[in-house]
Amino acid sequence: MLNLTSEEKKAILFLLVVAFCGIALNNLAKLNCRVKKLFSPEVRLAKIDLNKISLAQLLKTRCLPQKTSQRIIEYRLEHGDFTSLEGLKEVKGIGEQRYEKLKELFFTE
Amino acid sequence: MKRVLAVLAVFYCLGIILASLIRVNFSAVLGLGMIILVFACLNFRKNHIFLFLIFFLALLLGGLNLKNSYLRPKCHISNFVHYKDNTVYSLSGFVDSAPEIKNNRTSFVFRLLEARVDKLKWRCCGKVLVELGFPQELNYGDNLALIGNLQRPYGFNKVRQGYREFLARQGIYLLMRIRDTRQIIRQDGSRGSRLMSFSFRLRDRIEQVIRRNLADLPASILSAMVLGQRRGIPWLVNNSMVKSGTVHILVVSGFNVGIVAFIISLSLKIMRIRRKTRIILTVICLIIYCLTTGASNPVIRATVMGSVFLLAYLFKRAPDIYNSLSCAALFILLINPRQLFDVGFQLSFASVAAIIYLYPKLRAFLRVRDYGSKVLRFICDGLLVSFCAWMGTMGIIAYNFRIISPVTVLANLLIAPLAGLITLCGFTLVLCGLFFPFLAGPVSTTCRMLVTLLLNINAAAIKLPFAYFYL
Repeated sequence: MLNLTSEEKKAILFLLVVAFCGIALNNLAKLNCRVKKLFSPEVRLAKIDLNKISLAQLLKTRCLPQKTSQRIIEYRLEHGDFTSLEGLKEVKGIGEQRYEKLKELFFTE
Repeated sequence: MKRVLAVLAVFYCLGIILASLIRVNFSAVLGLGMIILVFACLNFRKNHIFLFLIFFLALLLGGLNLKNSYLRPKCHISNFVHYKDNTVYSLSGFVDSAPEIKNNRTSFVFRLLEARVDKLKWRCCGKVLVELGFPQELNYGDNLALIGNLQRPYGFNKVRQGYREFLARQGIYLLMRIRDTRQIIRQDGSRGSRLMSFSFRLRDRIEQVIRRNLADLPASILSAMVLGQRRGIPWLVNNSMVKSGTVHILVVSGFNVGIVAFIISLSLKIMRIRRKTRIILTVICLIIYCLTTGASNPVIRATVMGSVFLLAYLFKRAPDIYNSLSCAALFILLINPRQLFDVGFQLSFASVAAIIYLYPKLRAFLRVRDYGSKVLRFICDGLLVSFCAWMGTMGIIAYNFRIISPVTVLANLLIAPLAGLITLCGFTLVLCGLFFPFLAGPVSTTCRMLVTLLLNINAAAIKLPFAYFYL
């Protein structure tokens, strides 16, 4: 038979643990929807809430000039929260190209 | 002297630094170098004098190599283009990098073979960074003809290293922006290295496997960890990892190279291949992995170090970590001495050097070996490694990024082992996806869980008081 070293045995053990862990989580997620949160990262970890961001935070992202950032905040104050990211297109200074970039940075609830 | 290579690397680096600070005449230094070489040959048997002369030669070599790297051949395209140039050029050549598509734009490095302005045509060389304002399916090696204006990149930051210097280190001095599909004409055939072409195809295949099995966010993080592809990482994730000082986990490092070497070695062992052949094949696979991940400085460092260790076993010599690290540094700097001023290079080598020098000393000082509990030993070791890496890189990070993150030590204690686990799971997922797709499901769930945990820990770490502050 193969003479496996302890590292190789650990590798095989690791593979089995990963597979079992995955199956167990899958099963638990089917039984309880809350478990799904364990393995689907929340959107707020990767994107910023457009309706909660302040002007200072918006400027820190360095993705927009100051004037356009101000216009976004003014637009929010005037029209209320953004219902979708498409609303950004109505802000002066945001064209299709800039919108494509902002889409990766923000989300709306 | 046991670590000659380490001293040689230090002198070589000193030569590069000196040459960047003072004006030297290339021919005069070359002449001096020749004289010293003759003296070194004459003093071959006098060990101390010979070593001194060799170290001095390494210093001169570093300086000469840097000065030489600034010289461009006469046919280089940048010699024909002014800063503001409205001339329409027609360039022939081939795609010299894996094209990247982001935000409906495509960018790639174009290697020139021929240029034309009106009816004047000449053979030229050099590289141009091409940015297409639309998505375009291209592959490495594709022969193309491009029509457009050429421009020099802007400096942006005059005080510290700017975009222009960053591109210059890669041998790129010109940009071409193309807005219309009619400005790009495909030509028959393809050029470029077959090995590179194979590596890029392999990378695409692995990326497909990752994206097929995971959602966007975990897939982008896993792609960065396994393949070093960071283009999909959201800005917020990258920014919060910079704040917590854990952004290094998004780069392919020595750990990944170690995993690849282990997987290849184990697979070959199962196939009952002889030890010598196994080592040679593993080194070849490491080189392919290095090319697949884009051959960035940390990967080259890890690949060279790994290869030196494996070859040491092959030739039955005791490997020395300082010598292998120096060998990696010399390898990179001989090819391109300007890499010494690259932040990635500095961080990669500074962290490894700090760990291998400080960690054993601190471990002995704190008598970690005498601790009774295994868990306590593990925690202490983790903290020490993280602390040493932080000590080694703090100055470079503070100077370049204007941020100091005391939370780094604590964050790395939790995040580094988790990142290691994710990388292992990532490789498992890739192998399952490639060879046993039916097994990829359970593995992908575990991957997603670990990535979610990592993001949550990172988000919590930067919320701690005094976690980071900007200078």
